[in-house]
Amino acid sequence: MESIFSPATSYETDTVSDNNKPFNIKKEQRRLALKDIIDGIIKWRVWLLISYLDVKLRYRRSSLGPFWITISMAITTYSMGYLYSHLFHINLQIYFPYLVAGMLSWTLISTQVTDLTEALSSSEGLIKQIKLPYTIYIHKIAARNIIIFFHNIIVIIPILAIFHEVAKVNFNTLLLIPGLFVIYVNSISFGLILGMIGARYRDIVQIIKSLIQVAFFLTPIMWSPDILPAKDRLIAVLNPLYCLVELIRAPLLGMTPTLLTICVSALVTVIGIAYSFVMFAKHRSRIIYWL
Amino acid sequence: MAAINLHSVSVEFPVYNVNARSLKKEFLRLATGGTVREDENHRVIISALNDISLTISHGDRIGLVGHNGSGKSSFLRLLASIYEPTRGKIDIQGHISPMLDLMPGIEMELTGYENIFIRGTLLGLTRTEINKQTQEIADLTGLGDFLTMPTRTYSSGMLVRLAFAISSQIKPDILLIDEIFGTGDASFIQTAKERMINLLDQSSIVVMATHSDGLIKEFCNKTLLLEGGSVKYFGDTETALALYHGEEVLTETAS
Repeated sequence: MESIFSPATSYETDTVSDNNKPFNIKKEQRRLALKDIIDGIIKWRVWLLISYLDVKLRYRRSSLGPFWITISMAITTYSMGYLYSHLFHINLQIYFPYLVAGMLSWTLISTQVTDLTEALSSSEGLIKQIKLPYTIYIHKIAARNIIIFFHNIIVIIPILAIFHEVAKVNFNTLLLIPGLFVIYVNSISFGLILGMIGARYRDIVQIIKSLIQVAFFLTPIMWSPDILPAKDRLIAVLNPLYCLVELIRAPLLGMTPTLLTICVSALVTVIGIAYSFVMFAKHRSRIIYWL
Repeated sequence: MAAINLHSVSVEFPVYNVNARSLKKEFLRLATGGTVREDENHRVIISALNDISLTISHGDRIGLVGHNGSGKSSFLRLLASIYEPTRGKIDIQGHISPMLDLMPGIEMELTGYENIFIRGTLLGLTRTEINKQTQEIADLTGLGDFLTMPTRTYSSGMLVRLAFAISSQIKPDILLIDEIFGTGDASFIQTAKERMINLLDQSSIVVMATHSDGLIKEFCNKTLLLEGGSVKYFGDTETALALYHGEEVLTETAS
């Protein structure tokens, strides 16, 4: 009969009251949020492995495997490029590479948005079973889409060969690496926000899916901002989605993104990081109860 | 030194897909489960755990008993840091390994070996550590060549063998177990038990939820009886089990 505790016989009452002070809790939550983010990066082996397996699993029993991603991307973009250049009476030489590169870039960004909205709710089983940083599940989805992007990118190779006067391989092609890095950082920060909203309000997933369709037509992907009159062009060019698309599209065609594009992307990135951290610190401890 | 300290910890969670107004009356009449109430925003709130204060120290083997919905699983999730306390403070020292639900995390399309690898990675083992232990895990499953086949070809008993073998491989300071001796045939239960005893001996603290009195009497030096999310009794195993089965106990006043 050594230890029988009734709630009344509490001990170290000081510690208890100390930790109930609200400002302490806020600070503590911020510390825990930061810890979650850092642990998520440290445990890169975990999310890289599960995202890699995710891609592999999807095509497990097909003979071509993940290269179905490449093939279906090729079919879509090549037929779109051919069709629209005829429909819109645009020079195939210019339009075809522009559309294919734009579609590669857009596919990456749009799948990041839609998949990340479900990032936390789709990992419910694991989250409720093992304590891992929440950011791991965001990294998992974001990394998976980057892996898929590297399958898709093969589609650009014939274009670079056939339309070599418009789409060139040069030093600017290397800008793809920082471009992808910026996209990845944004995927994590905005993905965290989207994932939390998606976990709390399940209808959001459907809303995001429809909005991203609209965004596809509003963002210059199938069309170039040059077709707009000068005064409207600025609106299209300031579109953050356009800027993020450009970060990938321009290097794929052997060009540099414009300074304005880089500035807008940088601003979006900074806002995203700051806002997601505030949101995450505030709601992190509640996420488990939303699932 | 592993230790767990709980200072008047409560866990409450909102249930989002229930309309408080329509279900309130029936909910409040329920006998099992935590207490259900409505908050200021008309949301249904379940208090799964209520003002729990206790200390679990190095070497303790805690049996966790209580009726369905008394908060056993919530308590284990709290100790596993999956749930964070809504009120109060929890302080845990030592590396924790939860064996709460073995099934999620097993990918049906992957082979047994691949699943061993994933699970090991999720639990924080490095590649070399996993490779070193793979043979040992494979032996424990007793599945032989089946390990090279996709797990979707396994029977449910075989899945349990695999899941258990993988989970029991890590050597934690604090081991949390939630009712896992359900399925599996007699020979496996025997191996699993030996394995468990081994694991129990290696861990500094064990908290085990089970409906089997035998297991508790055999392994546990203390027992925690939960009722409606509160501690009804914490201490001597015999007394706790007697209380749990509704017998009149002389020492009842002590709790």
